[in-house]
Amino acid sequence: MIEPVTTAAESGDPASAAESGDMASAAGSGNMAPAAGTGDMKRVEEFKAEIAEMRLRDPATGRDRQLLRLGVVLLVLGVVLTVAAYFMSHGTTNPLSQRDAIILALAGVAVSVAGGALFLRYSLATFLRFWLARLIYEQQTQTDRIVRQTDAAPR
Amino acid sequence: MTLVDATLADTATTPLLELRGIQAAYDGINVLRGIDLVVPEATVVAVLGPNGAGKTTTLKVAAGLHPASSGDILVAGRRVNGARPDELARRGLCLIPEGRGIFPNLTVRENLWMMSHSRRELTEIEETAYERFPRLRQRHTQMAGTLSGGEQQMLALARGLATDPAVLMLDELSMGLAPIIVEELYQLVASVAKEGMSILVVEQFARIVMDVADWAAVMVQGRVTLTGRPRDLEETLSSAYLGG
Repeated sequence: MIEPVTTAAESGDPASAAESGDMASAAGSGNMAPAAGTGDMKRVEEFKAEIAEMRLRDPATGRDRQLLRLGVVLLVLGVVLTVAAYFMSHGTTNPLSQRDAIILALAGVAVSVAGGALFLRYSLATFLRFWLARLIYEQQTQTDRIVRQTDAAPR
Repeated sequence: MTLVDATLADTATTPLLELRGIQAAYDGINVLRGIDLVVPEATVVAVLGPNGAGKTTTLKVAAGLHPASSGDILVAGRRVNGARPDELARRGLCLIPEGRGIFPNLTVRENLWMMSHSRRELTEIEETAYERFPRLRQRHTQMAGTLSGGEQQMLALARGLATDPAVLMLDELSMGLAPIIVEELYQLVASVAKEGMSILVVEQFARIVMDVADWAAVMVQGRVTLTGRPRDLEETLSSAYLGG
C-alpha cells in the first residue's frame, strides 16, 4: 500500500483543516486551487530567482526581425535587377532583348517597392515599440517623482 | 490570525506552475480547449483522465515542448510562453516523459552522467540515484535498453531527480508496468513529495495516484471537468471518464 502524503489537514493544523473543508466542498466546481504546502524553501527561492532572471524572447519579435531583413534584401535585389536590366538593354540593338530588359527592370522596381514596404512596416513597428516602452518608462518615472514629492510635502 | 486569514495567506503564495486558459493544437486540430491548472509549492497535483483527453499535451505545453496557441504559462509567477524547454529544464522544471526518455544504448551509469549539466558532481549524481534506487547500483554497467520496464522507469526518475528539480512532471509513470512496480515507484514519488518538491503527475489509472496526490484535476476532451481532493473525486471519477 502506498503511504499517503501527509497533508496539512491530516497533520492537525487547524488553519489547513478549515481549508480542507473548503476544498472538499469545492470538488467539482472546477475553480478552486490547491493550497501551497511547506517545501524546500531554499530550492524554491532559487528556482524563482532563476526563472525571474531568465531572458525570454517574444517569438513575434523574431519574426518581425526576419521580415525586416527580408525587406532590406528585396529592396537591394530590386535595385540590382533594374541596373542589370539597364546594362542588358544598353548592350544590345535587338528589340526583343530590350523588351525582356524592360520587363526585368519593371520586375526589379516591383520587388524594390515590396521590399521597401516590408522594411518600412517592420522598422516602424520596432521604432514604435521602443517609443511606447520609453513613454511608459518616462510616465512611470514621472509618477514616482510626483508620489515622492507628495509624500515629502508638509501636511 | 483567523482560520480564514490563514487559508487566504496559504493560497496567496505564487504557484510554481500555473496554466491559464491554455489552448493547444496539432495541425490545426484543437486538443486543449482552455486548461486552467495550478501547482503550488510542495504540492502533488494529479491530472487524471481517459486516453486522448490531452493530459500529455498539457505536460508538453507546461514544459515548453509544445507551443500553446493561446493562454498563459506561468512559472514561479512569470509568463514563460515561448521559453525554450532546455532553459526551463536547466532551471528546475523537469519532465519525465511517457516512454521513459532514457538512452537505451548507454549504460545506467552513462545515462546518469548525462544529467551532469545540472552543475552537480558525477559522483554526487550517482550516489543520490543509487541511494534512492539500490537496484540501479547493481545494474550500473548494464545497457539501459536491456533493463526491465520498472528499472527503466526507475532510471528515468533517478535522472530527473538528479537535477534537483523544483517542479517534477511525471507522465504516465505506470505505463506498461506491473502493479507491484507501480506501487514501488509511487512510494518513491510520495517520499519525494514529503521532501517538499512540487509534483504534477499525469495518470490514466486514477486509483494509483489517489494516495499520493493532494489535489486532482480530471480532464476530458481537452478540458478540466472536475477538480478537488482526490478522495472527494473518487465517486464521480467513473462518470467523468465515461462522459456521464
